Amino acid sequence: MAGLLRIESVFTAYDRADVLHGVSLTVEPGSITCLLGANGSGKTTLVRSILGLTPPRAGRIIFDGREITALPTHKIIAAGIACIPEGRKVFPKLTVEENLRVGAYGERSKAAVAARMDEIMRIFPRLAERRAQLAGTMSGGEQAMVSIGRGLMCAPKLLLIDEPSLGLSPLLVKENFNIIRHINARGITILLVEQNVHQTLAISHQGYVLSKGKVVAAGSPDELKDRAEVREAYFG
Amino acid sequence: MATSGDRLGGAGLALVKPGTCAGRAQLAMRHRVREKGRGSRPEAGSVATANTMDIGLFAQYVMNGLMLGMMYALVAVGFTLFFGVLDVIKFSHGDVLTVGAFTALATFVGLSRLGLESQWFDLAVMLGAATLAMALLGMLIARVLVLPLRGAPPLNTLLITLMLGTVLRESVRLFYPQGANPKPFPALLPRGSVNLGDFHLRFDNVMMLAAGVAAIAALQYLLHRTKLGLAIRAVAQDEETARTMGINFTAIVLVTFAIGSALAAFAGVMNGLYYNEINFGIGLYLGVIGFSAAIIGGLGSIYGAILGGFLFAALQTVGTVLLPFASAYKDVFAFAVVIALMAWRPTGLIREKISERV
Repeated sequence: MAGLLRIESVFTAYDRADVLHGVSLTVEPGSITCLLGANGSGKTTLVRSILGLTPPRAGRIIFDGREITALPTHKIIAAGIACIPEGRKVFPKLTVEENLRVGAYGERSKAAVAARMDEIMRIFPRLAERRAQLAGTMSGGEQAMVSIGRGLMCAPKLLLIDEPSLGLSPLLVKENFNIIRHINARGITILLVEQNVHQTLAISHQGYVLSKGKVVAAGSPDELKDRAEVREAYFG
Repeated sequence: MATSGDRLGGAGLALVKPGTCAGRAQLAMRHRVREKGRGSRPEAGSVATANTMDIGLFAQYVMNGLMLGMMYALVAVGFTLFFGVLDVIKFSHGDVLTVGAFTALATFVGLSRLGLESQWFDLAVMLGAATLAMALLGMLIARVLVLPLRGAPPLNTLLITLMLGTVLRESVRLFYPQGANPKPFPALLPRGSVNLGDFHLRFDNVMMLAAGVAAIAALQYLLHRTKLGLAIRAVAQDEETARTMGINFTAIVLVTFAIGSALAAFAGVMNGLYYNEINFGIGLYLGVIGFSAAIIGGLGSIYGAILGGFLFAALQTVGTVLLPFASAYKDVFAFAVVIALMAWRPTGLIREKISERV
């Protein structure tokens, strides 16, 4: 298994306490791979480890055939990973357009930035209307669009999406999942971190279940649906 | 010029203790007295009573206030930039200004020794040397002292930069030739003025004001029209998310410290040209005012810092006018109003960090 992203027995700690205890997983190119788990299971820590925000203390992370474990965050992003962070994290005092531009920070070609901007405005016409509005003054759903658009601006090979449905209305959650599927259909590999089991498994090709910092189950969505570990990971 | 000035500075002001606030105020008064000798300064008003003040005198006060305000604004902008990207108070900022002013002076002395006496050339080289050297010093401070302390409580950064400020200040005092005495600063700008009644509009003041406006406009352009500025603003708003957008956080912090420190050097040279004199305590005084100005404006806001700088200068000017017998108390008055303002608006006049939506 080559895998676009390969995580090999990663241990990550805040201060001294390990949060991840030897996590291994593989994200196949072109897939939507999901990472399920309850609050505190270590999902966000794994995302932070991949992004280099909280580098692992042991283990290896290999992206696109190259080890990125000890790289600073901006180099990991430059390698082709983008992130739609938990809670959307738009820059509140930047306009919609500026937020998108920050997303394309690593892109040198102005033409490429303009083309991607146009494309995102086509996907989210709402953002085109609100181009000059400060992102902090927008509704939660609109901020979600900004955050997704910003993640796409660097044309990543791998997109990490952390808890996209958090704090959104059920209707918006459904729309979000449609958008994720749409992004994947355009050839972007996705690692989707979620708590929302059913809708997540419905769009994923492969899934991992994290509990107390360990992978307790892995497999196709059909295999995972009925597994006891999945239920235990949430309720156990 | 430099040597004769040394004597002048040493003898003329030997009784003043520079570096202390009182000494600084006294010093400022001396300037005014000297300026008054030239017959162009509004402090003539301190002798006359306020109600004899006419339009010309009023204009003179406004001009002085604008000059001071510009210097304060340039210093305050540095504080607000540093706070923006790192959420730290860098207390050595004022002393970087001092070192910048002395770098300019040393450059001038060097150029004079080389026999290069063209005033525009000298000024350009001095300004270039001071801003460049302080940009490097600012980056060095950020790299060696401020960034390594990121994990520590912000108070530690405040304390360590406070101590660094003392080191810089004392180094100037001890290692610059005759550094303990005020040093004459060359008047390199054209000296003429336009007389409009009682109001003498001095060319050098107009030029300095224009240069200050240009510096602030350039900063605004950088922050709002360039990719670098976008990255600085992104880091200021949310450091971690900015990093996950591919922004090299360390590089942005270093560049920001370079910009802020270069502006301080610019203000230091301006201060020297305005008073025709510098001493090792100017930065301490301007630093405290710049810091206050940044706080009144709302730390983190560029516009707030500029507003705060001019507001503080306005308060000092008003203090001078209202207290004609004791214009030395203008700082007491200005700081008292700042304290009152802070009690009224604890987060400053322009609130920068807005609460996030969940």
